[in-house]
Amino acid sequence: MAQAKILEVSSLSKTFKNVQAVESISFSLEQGDIFAFLGPNGAGKTTTLRILLDIIKADSGTIKWNLAGNKSSFPPSSQIGYLPEERGLYTDQPIVRSLVYLASIRGMEPSKARISAMEWLERLDLADRAKEKLQALSKGNQQKIQFVASILHKPAFAILDEPFSGLDPLNQEKFIGYIKELNEQGTTILLSSHQMSLVEKIAHRVFLINQGKELFNGSLMDIYQNYGQQHILDISFACEVPLEKFRLLPNLENMSPVGAQQVKVTFRPGTELTEILGNLAGMDGISNIKSHNSSLHDIFLNIVKAHQQ
Amino acid sequence: MNYYRQVLTVTLWEYRRFFKIKNEIIGIAIMLLVFGVSYLGGKYATSRSSEKPHLMVLKDLKPQLIEILSNDFIVELISGEEKEKLLLQIATQKEGMLLLQDGEGFVIHSWKKPKRLNALQENLKIYCQQEAMAKINLSTSDLEYVMRPADLREVYLYDAGTNDRSVLAFFFAGLMIMAVFLSFAYQFTAITGEKQLKITEQIISAIKPQAWMDGKILGITLTGLSSMLTYSIIGTLGGMLFFQFTGGSVSSILQYLHLPSILLFFMFTLMGVMMWNAFLAAIASMITDPNNSGKSGVMLLPLIFVFSSFLVMRDPDNGVSVFLSWFPLTSATAMPMRWVATELAWWEFAGSFVVLAATFYLLRKLAAKIFHVSVLISGKEPTWREVFKLARES
Repeated sequence: MAQAKILEVSSLSKTFKNVQAVESISFSLEQGDIFAFLGPNGAGKTTTLRILLDIIKADSGTIKWNLAGNKSSFPPSSQIGYLPEERGLYTDQPIVRSLVYLASIRGMEPSKARISAMEWLERLDLADRAKEKLQALSKGNQQKIQFVASILHKPAFAILDEPFSGLDPLNQEKFIGYIKELNEQGTTILLSSHQMSLVEKIAHRVFLINQGKELFNGSLMDIYQNYGQQHILDISFACEVPLEKFRLLPNLENMSPVGAQQVKVTFRPGTELTEILGNLAGMDGISNIKSHNSSLHDIFLNIVKAHQQ
Repeated sequence: MNYYRQVLTVTLWEYRRFFKIKNEIIGIAIMLLVFGVSYLGGKYATSRSSEKPHLMVLKDLKPQLIEILSNDFIVELISGEEKEKLLLQIATQKEGMLLLQDGEGFVIHSWKKPKRLNALQENLKIYCQQEAMAKINLSTSDLEYVMRPADLREVYLYDAGTNDRSVLAFFFAGLMIMAVFLSFAYQFTAITGEKQLKITEQIISAIKPQAWMDGKILGITLTGLSSMLTYSIIGTLGGMLFFQFTGGSVSSILQYLHLPSILLFFMFTLMGVMMWNAFLAAIASMITDPNNSGKSGVMLLPLIFVFSSFLVMRDPDNGVSVFLSWFPLTSATAMPMRWVATELAWWEFAGSFVVLAATFYLLRKLAAKIFHVSVLISGKEPTWREVFKLARES
């Protein structure tokens, strides 16, 4: 059964001086989505997020919100959570006081905010440091507090700009768990990230943007079906890679040497693996072959490169 | 969440962030320490000078002059032979004073200018006057008759501008200067500091710039008022102690506590502090790095206007004073000062206050607009032109 659309963006455009930051993009989010907004630096992601948050105005286009049955051009701040890419908190204030304040300005009762903040700090093993100033925490722990500050008031819709930035792999995994849990509790999530391997683990749908233009908008399954059916081979050699021979291979789309004795080759969609292996049989010195389909990272690079060309 | 609740939340946050009882107590303790050290140090420094210094004179000096000099000096008589020895001693040991008569005048010999030179001059003046009176056969009572002041009866139609109210006006002006100084420091931390900490984007995604700015202005005004209240209480207690130690009645302080004046001064001071806070907030919104910004100096502008309002006391009825008491950047202190110095119609207070309040209203709107547009200009500090252009467009 189709979920209700809680955000519909149509033909959104924004120009700064002579730069077209966003060019007629459209997308929508349904209740319960985890929607990944992907694009290289300067693609227009943050501009779009700022427009959605009513921080800046679009030149044209429409945004329709329908959060918790409340149809309005912009929902109350109590229903929105925002983790900006540029992190910042009151470093000279006690942790719990900052968290309560930020939840309070989004409409949460201070007493409830305090209870909720302490619960989160317990989970993050920081409860005993609740009254310490934020500057006393490590950078990683400050990141965690920043994340908590954006969702403490239990928003119906959370916008997370680069939520994994600055986290070590262990904490990245923890954050994936927190985001999934938040989503399971009913929060719709729009996230922007460069860590494709992490996005793959949680996103339901992806929107790819480059130079302000929409390159792809659909489910994770769709993007793999449309762009991920290519064979990618990591081939190791006992001797130097014979690059000239590779250039002559039929259906070769891309070739990236990885050191002197390894190469990563991508074949055009529809190329059979048996055909590829047959062509490789004539090469001497192959010590190892690993075959896999395109990851989201590969797809992202391929689509963006193709668009830039 | 409605606007008023958001403003209240931000106001209380800013107030709790900046007003700390512990810091106030430390500030007052330091102030009392400085006062105590100054007082005791001053006492100590002047304690030696209360002892009469030694003054050498020749034995043949007139007894009448010696008697007069004895009021302030321990006069020691020396012979003519000892004079040269004493002059040598002054040069080598760097101490001692020798007074010699030179015709109708006098010569004082000392290593350096003596501390009691004024007293010596006064004594010599009395002696010379007495000598002159004797020459023309003028008695002391005749001299008093000649020097008597003219009989002047004072009849004033306006006598409300009493000294005690002037003291009160200056007291409030002083408090306002203090509040503006504090606001200057706090607005930097509250707005520019937040920009540097990169909190602003998170804040304006949650709250309208106007609510945020109003909360800042009110919170910091409240902080300034709390400090004003603390120092008013300390001032009142200090006044009571002053009267106690100077032999007056402790209740003398009550003559300064004129309630209508206090209410009037408070209204103008409150609105003035809020207006300046709105002004400072607007400027702080444009500053990205206070250490390198050319706009930081503009934040000292309020002090020029507050100090310039003291001109009113020179002539409260001239054109400059009337202008200062109406001009919103000076009226908060100038109008109460005019009130203690001259007669004013009620509509002058009301009119000046309305202009001041309207200025505050517009400045807070402008501050919110400037904040909203300047926070989105990243990478460089916005120029005046950019900010006003964007503010006009927004």
